[in-house]
Amino acid sequence: METSKKLILGVYDNPDKTYSVTKKLISHGFSVYDVYSPFAIHGLDRVMGIKRSRLTVAAFIFAMIGLSTAITFQVYVSYFDWQVNVGGKPSLHIPTYIPITFELSILFTAFGMVSCFFIVNKMFFGKNADIMDIRVTDDLFVVAVDVKKSKADMGSLNQLLMDGGAIEVRERIKEL
Amino acid sequence: MSYESPIRDQLVTGGKTYRDVTREITRPLESAPSKGWWFGFSLSTIVLIIWIYATGYSMVVGLGAWGLNKTVGWAFDITNFVFWVGIGHAGTLISAVLLLFRQKWRMSINRSAEAMTIFAVICAASFILSHMGRPWVAYWPIPLPNAFGTLWVNFNSPLVWDVFAISTYFSVSLVFWYIGLIPDIATVRDRATTAGRKFWYSFFAMGWTGSARTWHRYEVISLILAGISTPLVLSVHSIVSMDFATSLVPGWHTTIFPPYFVAGAIFSGFGMVLTLLIIAREVMNYKDYITEEHLDAMAKIILVTGTMVGMAYITEFFVAAYSGVEYEQYAFLNRAFGPYWWAYWTMMSCNLIAPQVFWFRKLRTNPTFLFIMSIIVNIGMWFERFVIIVTSLHRDFLPSSWAMYAPSIVEVSILIGSFGLFFFLFFLFIKFLPSINMAEVKSIIPTHAHADHGHSHASHAHEVIEKGAVHGN
Repeated sequence: METSKKLILGVYDNPDKTYSVTKKLISHGFSVYDVYSPFAIHGLDRVMGIKRSRLTVAAFIFAMIGLSTAITFQVYVSYFDWQVNVGGKPSLHIPTYIPITFELSILFTAFGMVSCFFIVNKMFFGKNADIMDIRVTDDLFVVAVDVKKSKADMGSLNQLLMDGGAIEVRERIKEL
Repeated sequence: MSYESPIRDQLVTGGKTYRDVTREITRPLESAPSKGWWFGFSLSTIVLIIWIYATGYSMVVGLGAWGLNKTVGWAFDITNFVFWVGIGHAGTLISAVLLLFRQKWRMSINRSAEAMTIFAVICAASFILSHMGRPWVAYWPIPLPNAFGTLWVNFNSPLVWDVFAISTYFSVSLVFWYIGLIPDIATVRDRATTAGRKFWYSFFAMGWTGSARTWHRYEVISLILAGISTPLVLSVHSIVSMDFATSLVPGWHTTIFPPYFVAGAIFSGFGMVLTLLIIAREVMNYKDYITEEHLDAMAKIILVTGTMVGMAYITEFFVAAYSGVEYEQYAFLNRAFGPYWWAYWTMMSCNLIAPQVFWFRKLRTNPTFLFIMSIIVNIGMWFERFVIIVTSLHRDFLPSSWAMYAPSIVEVSILIGSFGLFFFLFFLFIKFLPSINMAEVKSIIPTHAHADHGHSHASHAHEVIEKGAVHGN
């Protein structure tokens, strides 16, 4: 298990350049470790070959957990544990359980999915951010190329990054 | 990659670069507050003290301090509760529904609208607590085993549904808001110059790096959160309306209530968003971000929802007449021509008649006029809830129990004070958090602003390029 990664960073000031450089790098056989940007660049995930996140599946599972919890709980309380006679109305009355079931499904989905999001991104309160460039949350875009994994001539990398309009190219060792 | 929109004007004006956006939106956070901010903050703190005092007084003395009587047992408290919950609806509508409809104009207003939602729901919840009269037993509506001294709650009751709906709405809105804030908190973190700012913004930025993988997941969960918040926002006010609609009181016992309340909630919410944003764009100088186009779009929504609400008022009359139920018919005649006629006609003129001026574009884009209109809308929507609650209750089935209701000074103080609570939180928000979503705004400003001069992009400087519009998500 390696503990650090050698990256070559190309710094850009424009999302279009970042997008086309990433595309070009990948077609030339370079391994793009990650791209850092102040906002989401649409289509970049497809170019980088990022698989569609399975958080949607997690969301569905949490919705089902919320739904079954709500139904089980309401049926248990109002029918099995303690029946209360309110105006002679039936104790097991499914239609009136719908609003709470709906709300709890949404509550579970939101909290469950967002917790999973934090877990897969390894995000937590107070985490120290390992940012590539101090301005990457402001106005700069960074394309990080993984040197070890790239199956192309490293000599041409610098030229490729510069041709794409990089304002700076530098090396960086990222601790894993 | 880029898409040129021939129809819409540029959403952010002034030829901003990404750096301009960051600098201008983080400025209030990084510099000492302006005189305007101190004035607003002090004023709302004073009003907040009125709220604390009046609510505390009601708790110590008991609800006898209010103007309630045996016939009118729900009045100011529930009116204010429904009013504040309604205001809360615009935030989620803007961020969730407009996200699903790909309305990019939402991007510079969604952050403050969501904050408004959260603060409005806090105000609403405070009215429920004081309405209970004994806030120390506020846990009673939570389903707890009988051993806790109370019976299990009755799941057939809309009041219990409301507890679930409001608390779910509050917590999901908070999560949605916070998720949207993370990239911007990271921006503030990376610009921080003082140790305190660095610590707190790093703490809440959760190690955000702006990685493409994170952004991909981020977009996925934003879309799902929007997808689940949309039915949530519709369900919350439907359930609030069922607090009334499932009763047998004439004037409340109406099947039209859920859609009518939802339309009214959106209407009043947009009224409040306009009030806040017109002040914010003046005071904080955000006119390039919140343009006249934004005001125009919001005024259109006010026109649509105001007319829907007006149609519901008229439909209620028709249904009462057509039903042949004399109690129902009397309830509505009493609303319009009984002792509370002034409340009814205030509601009608503020909610149905006044917004019709928004058929004219000139009036939709005039900030001063819009500001006045937004206040009128808020007054009208407050009166709508007052009319529904008080005029239906004060003359019900038994004429010997008919009574009049007038609020006591304590109730009026709580209402005024709740605005203090709301604005107190809002002023803290605009001081400590970026009040415009920088990451989203950056994604809609044309990329040619960043092309260096050697490129052919420079010649396209007049064209509007909306990035990413063709991709969906």
